[in-house]
Amino acid sequence: MMPQLVTVGYRRTRVWIPVLPVVLVLSPLLLFAVIGGLVACRVAGISPLGTLRGVGRFLCALPGTRIEIADGEHALLLSVR
Amino acid sequence: MSERNEHVTEQRRQILEMLAENKITADEAEQLIAAVEGERQASPREAAPQAGPRRKYLRVLASDDSAGAGTGHVNIRVPLQLLRAGVRLTSFIPPQAIAKINAELGKSGVPIDLSELKPAQIEELIDHLDELVVDVVDETSSVRVFCE
Repeated sequence: MMPQLVTVGYRRTRVWIPVLPVVLVLSPLLLFAVIGGLVACRVAGISPLGTLRGVGRFLCALPGTRIEIADGEHALLLSVR
Repeated sequence: MSERNEHVTEQRRQILEMLAENKITADEAEQLIAAVEGERQASPREAAPQAGPRRKYLRVLASDDSAGAGTGHVNIRVPLQLLRAGVRLTSFIPPQAIAKINAELGKSGVPIDLSELKPAQIEELIDHLDELVVDVVDETSSVRVFCE
């Protein structure tokens, strides 16, 4: 399942990022990024389709990830749902 | 004797009776008994309880109270599926990059040849992470790594 909500926090500030709307808004840039990635794969001599599949699996496995680091007054949170 | 074994014995007796009454041939009886026996052997595996709930996340918990400024803690939860996907991604690292990484690792005193690490081996390692528990505790700090 694709990530739907990413929460980024620093100290007491929290930012909730809905992934789908952000991806839709950034889709023109993402298209260029994908094309650039495919060209880089060709140059490096690795399978572009395999890489796309691998990246897709990686993104789909992200939900459930939670990283919380706090040190004194500083606290960092990254959560993917 | 368990209920299932009794059931199989009863079925075998019925087959033998049918054979005695010439309702079935010896070959048919043999096939039927083999089928009943096969069912009995297959059943315990199907009915065997799972070794435990399948673990889904790798957790890393660390806390440190020694610093004067305040408490520090780390709480990380990573899906095991993410580790597997990450391992698969490593197979797409270009050979030139692997050679450079190996050279740098060698310089740092870590002579590991990444090209020798096969994704299947690492996946096997991740599969066995289920049973991993690392628990390090001292007076002011603790580290705990486990799967849940």
